[in-house]
Amino acid sequence: MARKSKGAEQRAGARPKKLNGLKKWQYIAINTFLMFHILAITCWCMPLSSPFIAVCRDALRPYFVWSGLFQSWDMFSPQPKATNSYMEALVLYKDGSTKIWSFPRMEQLTLTEKYSKERYRKFVETILDNKNAALWPDVARYVARLPEIRAGQPQKVMLVAKWSDIVRQEDGTFTRALWDEHVFYSYDVKPEDLQ
Amino acid sequence: MTGKSFVEAWNEFFFAEQSPIPIALFRILYGMAVLATLWLSREDWIAWYGPHAWVSLSTMQAFEPGPRLNLFTVMPASVFWVQMLFWVFVASTVCLTIGFLTRLNSVVVYVCLASIQQRNLFILHGGDTFLRVAGFFLIFSAAGAALSVDRLIRIWRGKEGVEIRPRRPWAQRMIQFELSLVYFVGFCWKVAGAMWVQGTALSYIYRLDELQRFPLPSWFLNETLMKLATWFTLVLEFALGVLIWIREIRYYLLAIGLVFHLSIEYSMNIPMFQWDVLTAYVLFIDAADLERVWNWISNHVRPFPGERMTVIYDGGSERLRRVANLLGALDIFGRLRITDARDLGRPSGVDAKAARNEIVVVTNSGARQGLEGMRRVAGVVPLMWPVFVALSIRRLRAS
Repeated sequence: MARKSKGAEQRAGARPKKLNGLKKWQYIAINTFLMFHILAITCWCMPLSSPFIAVCRDALRPYFVWSGLFQSWDMFSPQPKATNSYMEALVLYKDGSTKIWSFPRMEQLTLTEKYSKERYRKFVETILDNKNAALWPDVARYVARLPEIRAGQPQKVMLVAKWSDIVRQEDGTFTRALWDEHVFYSYDVKPEDLQ
Repeated sequence: MTGKSFVEAWNEFFFAEQSPIPIALFRILYGMAVLATLWLSREDWIAWYGPHAWVSLSTMQAFEPGPRLNLFTVMPASVFWVQMLFWVFVASTVCLTIGFLTRLNSVVVYVCLASIQQRNLFILHGGDTFLRVAGFFLIFSAAGAALSVDRLIRIWRGKEGVEIRPRRPWAQRMIQFELSLVYFVGFCWKVAGAMWVQGTALSYIYRLDELQRFPLPSWFLNETLMKLATWFTLVLEFALGVLIWIREIRYYLLAIGLVFHLSIEYSMNIPMFQWDVLTAYVLFIDAADLERVWNWISNHVRPFPGERMTVIYDGGSERLRRVANLLGALDIFGRLRITDARDLGRPSGVDAKAARNEIVVVTNSGARQGLEGMRRVAGVVPLMWPVFVALSIRRLRAS
């Protein structure tokens, strides 16, 4: 009888069970969060190609893209760039004159400028990739809108890629190929672009 | 490993309480890295994120469709608002760095950081990505539990004592996991490339004009050394990704990783990447070892800014106990001897009645109380130097 009443007492005064100092629901919620993110991030960025991984990535994409957890860690890989390249804009004015506008080139900048303008290096690298062709009109428009360009009434902006391959010789030394160039995009400037 | 032992190991790893000093230090370093990133981009802020930016918002959305955490999609498209975002971002990062309203500001910093990155994904490097992902987990961490204004406020309100309370490190572990993943995934990508396996990758990278920062000696660029350096990079990335979790060799790996990143900082133009990643190294250092390092620094700094002082307070007074606790938290170099008056017998030169109402500061030239006492204390505690300046000006005006 005494034992029974003690048990009833314990039940009456029972507190929620604590795990690692957390309430049970907190413990479960945090562990779910941890397990999900560990598996999801691993699945997202490991260079594995299997149908299962592809399905997982598709399922994760909306959450990762929305939250900003998307990531890739393929710096200089699988193959590093083997070409020196840069970009210029050739501007044709209404009066027939031309002007070359250069994107900031890291090798021509001072140390402090390199720190602040580095994003241009990345940006030019992106623009020179054909799969990013959808960006080219925006880039041409931006060049046309630059105060020093707009003042001369630009008619056409041509984006020019210049490159020189780094070539490995038979004896293991490296040389640079001659510089090559080509116009990879031409844009007719519209009056509304300059507004 | 049995299921039970796995659960025990999991709980120990994520939930065993530990000092929040490493995550608090990370918060400070992280804030500084974000501030530096913002400062470096301030000249081109409008060029990258303005209403007529290099890449328009509509192009960005067409290129990378889907809902995204991006304030630019809900903000009016004007230069004013874009600049406003910059200054809110800066202010919030400063608050996060000093640990004021830490949780709220970690959210604001994350939302601002994610927004500017989502606004233009074409100008990001790995360091930006690391800051973003680490910032997400920082929101859930106990980053404001130490070395923060929040803690001083809690002490002042009597909610906390001088001792720093241990916290569960699960969010800190996620940032550590992220850092190790950066290296391990980097290693996996590289071993899939022929140039890395053959050992020629760095020969190409060091010949890219755009990446060169300071000159390297010509002998360093010879084929054999370049091959060794390429393979060493692979080995180190694997080690920092996997072996970093082995306590016995962790500090050696961190030291080698530090030298590795500093050498890249010297030789390659990838601004901020090295510093962004290095901020998280502090999370792998045991709080006890951080304390040992800090004590060493304190012992060397302690003799410098003026004389050490004894601060006497009446422990029976709630208000004076809070003030004493606050001074104890601010005195990071241990320049004060804070003593409860009740523990003292009869200290020479101290008015027992005065000690009941006010903090008494005992200096070589005698006991001081009130604002003058506080001014003396502020003069020898570096974190209180602004108070020292303010009280000194007040004193000059009064005289």
